[in-house]
Amino acid sequence: MKLLTCPLNGQRNITEFTYGGEYHPMPDHQQATSREWAEHVFFHDNSAGVVIEWWCHSASSYWFLAERNTISDQILRTFPADEIFNQRIDFAAAPEPEPELKPKANGESQ
Amino acid sequence: MSNNSRLAPPFGSLINRDQPINFRFEKQTYQGFDGDNIASALAANQQWLLSRSFKYHRPRGALTMAGQDANTMIQLPSDPNALADRIPLSEGLEVMGQNYSGSLNRDRGAVLGLFSRFLPVGFYYKAFFKPAGMWEKWALLIRKKAGLGTINQDYQPEYYDKQYQFYDVAVIGAGPAGLSAALEAAKSGGEVLLVDENASLGGSLNYSRLDAEGTAARELRQRLVAEVEATANITAMTSATCNAWFADNWLPIICGKRLYKVRAKQTILCVGSMEQQAVFHNNDLPGVIMSSAAQRLMHLYGVRPGKSAVVLTGNNEGYGTALDLLDAGVEVKAVIDLRHQPEYDAVAKYAVSKGLEVKTGCAVYAANKDPSGLHLGSVEVRDIIDQGVCATPESGKGEIIDCDVLCMSVGYTPTYQLICQGGGQLSYDDDSSMFTLTNCPPSCQIAGSVNSHWRLDDVVADAKRAALIATNALELTSATVPETIALSQQQSPNFGWPIFAHPKGKEFVDFDEDLQIADIINATKDGYEHIQLVKRYSTCGMGPSQGRHSALATARLVAAATNRTVAQTGVTTARPPFSAEHLAHSAGRSFYPAQRSNMHYRHLEAGAQMLQAGAWYRPAFYGSSDQRQVCINLEVTNVRHNVGLVDVSTLGGLEVRGPDAAEFLNRFYTFGFLKQPVGKARYALLTNEAGVVIDDGVACRFSEQHYYVTATTGGVGNVYQSMLKWNVQWRLDVDIANVTSAYSAVNIAGPNARKVLAKVCSDIDLDSQAFPYMGVREGSVAGIPARVIRVGFVGELGYEVHIPQHCGEALWDALIAAGAEFDIKPFGIEAQRILRLEKGHIIIGQDTDAMSNPNEVNMGWAIAKKKPFFVGGRSIQELNKTPLKRCQVGFVVNDANAPIPLESHLVLDGDRMTGRVTSCNYSPTLNKPVGLAFVEPDQAEAGSRFTIKSSGGVMVDAMVVQLPFYDPETQRQEL
Amino acid sequence: MSSTIASSALRRSQLYRRHIEMGAEFITLGDRVVVSHYGSNQEKQQAQHLGLADLSTLPRAGFKGPGTPDWALGLAMELPVQPNRATLQSDGTLVARLSQSELLLASNLDGLSQCIASATEAQLAESVYSLPRSDSHSWLVLCGSQAATTLAKVCGVDLRAHKFANGEIAQTSIAKINGVIVRNDLGETLSYCIFSDSSSVEFLWDSLLDAMAEFEGAAVGAQALRDCR
Repeated sequence: MKLLTCPLNGQRNITEFTYGGEYHPMPDHQQATSREWAEHVFFHDNSAGVVIEWWCHSASSYWFLAERNTISDQILRTFPADEIFNQRIDFAAAPEPEPELKPKANGESQ
Repeated sequence: MSNNSRLAPPFGSLINRDQPINFRFEKQTYQGFDGDNIASALAANQQWLLSRSFKYHRPRGALTMAGQDANTMIQLPSDPNALADRIPLSEGLEVMGQNYSGSLNRDRGAVLGLFSRFLPVGFYYKAFFKPAGMWEKWALLIRKKAGLGTINQDYQPEYYDKQYQFYDVAVIGAGPAGLSAALEAAKSGGEVLLVDENASLGGSLNYSRLDAEGTAARELRQRLVAEVEATANITAMTSATCNAWFADNWLPIICGKRLYKVRAKQTILCVGSMEQQAVFHNNDLPGVIMSSAAQRLMHLYGVRPGKSAVVLTGNNEGYGTALDLLDAGVEVKAVIDLRHQPEYDAVAKYAVSKGLEVKTGCAVYAANKDPSGLHLGSVEVRDIIDQGVCATPESGKGEIIDCDVLCMSVGYTPTYQLICQGGGQLSYDDDSSMFTLTNCPPSCQIAGSVNSHWRLDDVVADAKRAALIATNALELTSATVPETIALSQQQSPNFGWPIFAHPKGKEFVDFDEDLQIADIINATKDGYEHIQLVKRYSTCGMGPSQGRHSALATARLVAAATNRTVAQTGVTTARPPFSAEHLAHSAGRSFYPAQRSNMHYRHLEAGAQMLQAGAWYRPAFYGSSDQRQVCINLEVTNVRHNVGLVDVSTLGGLEVRGPDAAEFLNRFYTFGFLKQPVGKARYALLTNEAGVVIDDGVACRFSEQHYYVTATTGGVGNVYQSMLKWNVQWRLDVDIANVTSAYSAVNIAGPNARKVLAKVCSDIDLDSQAFPYMGVREGSVAGIPARVIRVGFVGELGYEVHIPQHCGEALWDALIAAGAEFDIKPFGIEAQRILRLEKGHIIIGQDTDAMSNPNEVNMGWAIAKKKPFFVGGRSIQELNKTPLKRCQVGFVVNDANAPIPLESHLVLDGDRMTGRVTSCNYSPTLNKPVGLAFVEPDQAEAGSRFTIKSSGGVMVDAMVVQLPFYDPETQRQEL
Repeated sequence: MSSTIASSALRRSQLYRRHIEMGAEFITLGDRVVVSHYGSNQEKQQAQHLGLADLSTLPRAGFKGPGTPDWALGLAMELPVQPNRATLQSDGTLVARLSQSELLLASNLDGLSQCIASATEAQLAESVYSLPRSDSHSWLVLCGSQAATTLAKVCGVDLRAHKFANGEIAQTSIAKINGVIVRNDLGETLSYCIFSDSSSVEFLWDSLLDAMAEFEGAAVGAQALRDCR
């Protein structure tokens, strides 16, 4: 069983952690094309080499990031998320919504 | 029988001659000593036959005496396929042979050997599959014939356990290398674990001959073991098997009934090597044994391996065995040396000087049975004229030498299994027949004969070197690591080609699977040239000993048959476990967490039938299980017409507090929360980034900066983690806490709910105007501080009362007492599911799947349209651009005789599958089955009909109706 | 008399029924009721060898948020400098720092904690949020010379005395449930406080007693812990 070093709790069995997917920046959700958005949501780079991944230490609910080499399965380093996310993120107001296709279903309001 | 045939000490180092032990084998009583294993005790009694082979039912006896072969598999009362040369003897032990019909001595199954030419390699692949369905018939017969032991179905579970252990350095294998490595590593002050699968530390020092006099090994062992025992920071475990190497030196070590989960910072594998058999006609006869097995019998157990012996050797080690045999009073008829011009070491020279009959450049061409047919009687010796080819004498027969034991000493393979599991690579040099192991993980060292060092000085130096690398890596030492020791090729004990084909076959490559030379070669002729394909096609190496004694010979044969080198051919992958382990070792002491609400025992006292939802115990319904449906229906009716009480403590609870609390919820859930008034609850629907519905709850605003958000029982853990993950990125000024377990909660529901609650709640104005539907209040109930939420999951006037966890039982008692005059009744989650279904409320995860977007489940109303951002928002926008592929509808079944559809029953349009049922139940309120189903959009109009394939394939007619089924004007919950 | 108080549902532990089955005698500490002892009231030796006690009814509190450390220092609380360390206050209250900005407070063995009382009554500063630790978490104490060996059967962290110092904290998995383990020796007696999900406490209690059996461990009351301090 692999070991993973949590920046808060130190080295632990990897079963103490939850994998949170590969980290990549979210595109501007208002400007991105449909294609770009779909790639963000559904496509994973799955690169051979060093990737950055989200991990959460379950017992302390602490989220952090890990650099892992997917070829050797070596974890090169782990670090707190504020190394990347160091300021508050805000979103611009949404443009007027486009007229949408009404879903053809019952029970529209409850 | 008695013990008086044992050799005198120092032979028999493991046995205690003062402690005789009686046991039975095949219903006959035998006597052995404390320290014996079953096989050694039987050998002491001249009982060599232990088992019948898997396929041809050939007689088999001990081969390695080290628990490394399948020949010694016997039946214990509760343990099939136990290894007789591994299981310690115990008083009264009942041992049986296995895999025979009739008796072990006269196995009727042995007739199969006569038909061996009709059982070619790949037999199972070639036969039995045509015509279709044949396999089921053949399988019964074949499984019976090929069955190994029998399982005791009356087995009483025993207490198996697991335990973690932590070490700086774990040394696996306690031979000369392991002992030396442990001692060197311990000098650093680190905590060292030394593990050996045998009963005694010392490995080969316990039985092999290092010098002419035969005393050096014993003396060295005594010195090293004494040193280890005197070293406080070495923990030695014997009779303990390290059964795998897992990432970052996680070592499962099995000892007795315990699985130790050892985590070592550094591992040094001193696992030694495994002696290989020569391949010749009848090489599987009992009496044909590894030379190390003969040495183990004599030195460990004081058992003479026979009266007259022949030694077949390809190295100098065989001469040591010959000397041991002479010391034990065994007549050594001849040493057959495969080498034409052997280079003798001191031991071999000494052996030759004792006047042994030595035949060089010769092979044992065949072994012959004695008159019993069950044991070796003689060997036939011929000159070697080419690789694997013997001269054919004019008489047609080579020299026959009578003997009852043949000791084979033709080479070793490194015990590469654990190392290869760690990523190590095994390579082979065809010229020297030497192996090398490379590419071990940095925290894993190897030393000793597994690293191809054979001379004792080299082994010890190699071990010390490995230990220094390990302790340097741990920064316990900063020593200069000596140079790698050069492999001394002249010392290679491996003879390149100890394989001699015979016109009559029966030269066994793999004893477990009864595979002969021709089988392996034919596999390559059938087109399976890759070693991995040969294995799967021929089943070579797939038996209980996992190729320990067949991998090398197979690689050699495949290499020759396909004009490659052994190095190019390679060996098959060695996967964990290294040796067979009881399922109990993995299964023993597993943890199945259980969560109980504070009201748990009140449910039991009220006669609840409990079920486990996730880890939580929840009341399914109250009453006897044979009255299940009646009880559930009564509970439903009582809520509809009177008042019921349900424990909802399992509901997730999350505190979201701080200046950005509303902003956070606005981004996280689909609805708008910025303008939510204090004192109000709002439905909270959660989608993931793909716009799929993943959870729901209500967000209760208790102050500007304080929300209490509920989540589903099964979903709250993920919702909480997801909230934290998003806010690690957004960095909003908000605190998020999972307080699920801090609150006990009930839902009191039904037309009389207010009257009951009013009796125990004086500081909240319960009047419908003052405390309307979807209102939230803080106050006290039965004197307990409470959060009261007016929600309507079941579609009636109802209040969720959330109170500190430890007060749950008190609250329950107070409400039951207050409700007595109204005949309040508890209800369980089965009734709750029906009540919510009648009301058309979905359960996320039951009525949704991993693809359900809000539009499909009629939740478009819960999506805010003008928010700057929410998780899943952009994806929902994209989904809105395309027409719906399916949607969820409510349906009723009007045919009272139709079998009620169940979850996942298919919705059909002719032959076409157009959807599935997600919930369906008999509704006591509507008096017919009602349900939810995914259907195609053109099936979704109220009044349209579709077909459900219900239980037993019965087609049931369903009609779409407007949701909800019950109280369409939603007046009941707003009373 | 004390048993009557313990049976009041408002004040009893989730393990109450197990305690009764095991013949517990109860004692009032401060205004809380805990098990005094089971059967024999001479449990000190057992606690020094291997004991398991339920202190779930004793006061606890939690505070969290970036303002917490300064606020707590302002209340004259003594804080560990690093996360995952705990300190005892002068009144015996255990203050465990679970992260830079989160504290878990647990009362002394007299059930009286001035530190918890004053923190609970004090005005919360900006960016300080209280946590209902008395209800969200149960509080068990595993103590005695065999405690670390027992924990090795249920937990994958090296908690042996020479590797896990007094005052160290491991937030980890115990018998597959999440929890906080704080080493908090009682005088010379090795001792671990285990705080974990209150709804799982029966499971954890049963699992620990089962793991303890081979080392001749047993449940002990609060009196034995008090005798060890």
